Amino acid sequence: MEIAERYSAGKRVLVEHPAVALLGAVLLYLLSDLILKTANVSIAPWGVHLIGGQLPVSNLGRFVLDGLIVGLVVGLAGVGLSMTYGILNFANFAHGDYITTGAFAGWLTAYIIGFLTLPVDPPFGDIFLFAESSLVSVVNAPVAIVLGLVASGLGTVGVVLLLDRWVYRPMRDKGGIPLLIASIGVALALRYAIVFVFGTSASGVTSTSDIPQFEIPLGDGRIPLDLHEITLIVAAIALMFGVHFLLQRTKLGKAMRAMADNKDLAQVTGIPTERIIRATWIIGGGLAGVAGFLIVLERGVISFNMGWRLLLLIFAGVILGGIGSVYGAMAGGIIIGIASRVSLVWIPSDFARVAAFTVMILVLLYRPEGLFGGVKTA
Amino acid sequence: MSSTGDRRDVSDASVNAIDFITADESLLRVENLDAGYGDLRILEGIDMNVEDGEYVTIVGPNGAGKSTVMKSIFGLTNQMGGTIKFDGEEVSGKKPDNIIHLGLGYVPQSDNIFSSLSVLENLEMGAYILDEVPQDRLEEVFDRFPILEERQSQKAGTLSGGQQQMLAMGRALMLDPDLLMLDEPSAGLAPDLVEDMFDRIDRINEAGTAILMVEQNAKVALQRCDRGYVLVQGQNRFMDSGDALLNDEQVRQEFLGG
Repeated sequence: MEIAERYSAGKRVLVEHPAVALLGAVLLYLLSDLILKTANVSIAPWGVHLIGGQLPVSNLGRFVLDGLIVGLVVGLAGVGLSMTYGILNFANFAHGDYITTGAFAGWLTAYIIGFLTLPVDPPFGDIFLFAESSLVSVVNAPVAIVLGLVASGLGTVGVVLLLDRWVYRPMRDKGGIPLLIASIGVALALRYAIVFVFGTSASGVTSTSDIPQFEIPLGDGRIPLDLHEITLIVAAIALMFGVHFLLQRTKLGKAMRAMADNKDLAQVTGIPTERIIRATWIIGGGLAGVAGFLIVLERGVISFNMGWRLLLLIFAGVILGGIGSVYGAMAGGIIIGIASRVSLVWIPSDFARVAAFTVMILVLLYRPEGLFGGVKTA
Repeated sequence: MSSTGDRRDVSDASVNAIDFITADESLLRVENLDAGYGDLRILEGIDMNVEDGEYVTIVGPNGAGKSTVMKSIFGLTNQMGGTIKFDGEEVSGKKPDNIIHLGLGYVPQSDNIFSSLSVLENLEMGAYILDEVPQDRLEEVFDRFPILEERQSQKAGTLSGGQQQMLAMGRALMLDPDLLMLDEPSAGLAPDLVEDMFDRIDRINEAGTAILMVEQNAKVALQRCDRGYVLVQGQNRFMDSGDALLNDEQVRQEFLGG
């Protein structure tokens, strides 16, 4: 009886929603393929490879870990994008370049401190322009890294506040589209201001020679993990908890949520809206800047368009999570990050972004408001 | 009769009115107010006053500009002329967060709660301008609306319509305002809750808070209030005590459906 019921329910889905059925079949195939691959089972009747193959669990673990690292950065940076969308109602295309700004501000600081404290003697100009490559690491200059992290946040906050004062505030009431277009202008201006000083070539900045490597045993293999990656993970998660605490427990955070919820009421309640907007820029911009610093720490390379390249993934994460929601931005970023890396099991890395966006589109098809949409948090 | 000339465009219905003080010490005093949105002028020459502890309603047909009066007092419209004084202080051009400091509370008609915040957080926001949430005020609000205390950690958006209205009032009462402006507090309420809501407003007034209320439900509002204004097309047409307006033939014919 039960089987018959399930059979007929399945048949109904197949007839009424062929797209859902197809999608379900594809997901089921991918999942079983993954399981078979990690079990090292390959099914290839008559020499035609159907499903399965070889993928040590530890490799899969490394994909997930890579995805988590990318996802944490995307999620951290996405918080600001989602906040400014929720409170100012516009999609800020300059947000990616805030990441770049933070990366340059932070690493410049780390380099200068490294220059002062490390036994190196290149000309100061080489330090300033990152021409002396791979100088600092968590091990050889921890103070430089910490101060660089702080500077990445503070520097970005400064730039972001100036941009708000000069560009966005005068246009506050002009609507979302003019602001969006202005933000594209801001993005280009910022990016090429950075190019003007630092040039277009990518520079290696972190020293990886002496940093400890760890290995997490998993299955029959090990997942390699270095101290820079651990630093990124710890810092990003700590900052996310910080944002959570701010939003839920502090007066400022509650006012930010109130303003994202109902701007007009916030105004007549006496919440000083301009001050809240400024706080939003400070927090969102600061997090973007720190995210930029952290991703450079992990990848070791800094370049003028790194933030811009991340922006699409960030938008994907923010939209997936439900635009305007801070928790959605965090969760969406992590999902997008993991999807883009785990997809490497099946597709070449050039297509990793395609996988990330496919996941986003699929989620939106069934939950158009996003995962946390409608549950505005800030 | 204290005739100060402020009532020049208030029609004959008020001729036999009891003595309404319109001296400078009025809590709220609106004189010759012109206001609207953008270039669109909605209010023309509005004169209005509310005394300490008084209960005043504004009634009139749709589109008469009733809500616009309140929004103008709160600085949310484009004021084109006239003066608005609260507690003797000019409020035109002041920002809402400054106006609130003077002791003026405002409950808009719709979207008057933060639906994604908890009930308690909504009330805390009501006291945002203070350094700390005044616990005694919070307790008073909870005494007045016990259901809010029961549901304080619930998301405000999940409350019923009547409870949301109570929360909106509670939020405005957190600062113990001298004047509470209510824009259609009965809108959207189930009929059996309307009476209850008006009873609650009576009690707020009895506790000493002056009320300025816009109400669609004109008959009930006029029964309850001390004094009413009838607004038509952005102008004061009548001003008198609630009872007098209710008994005025012209007002009844034109605005109260006979």
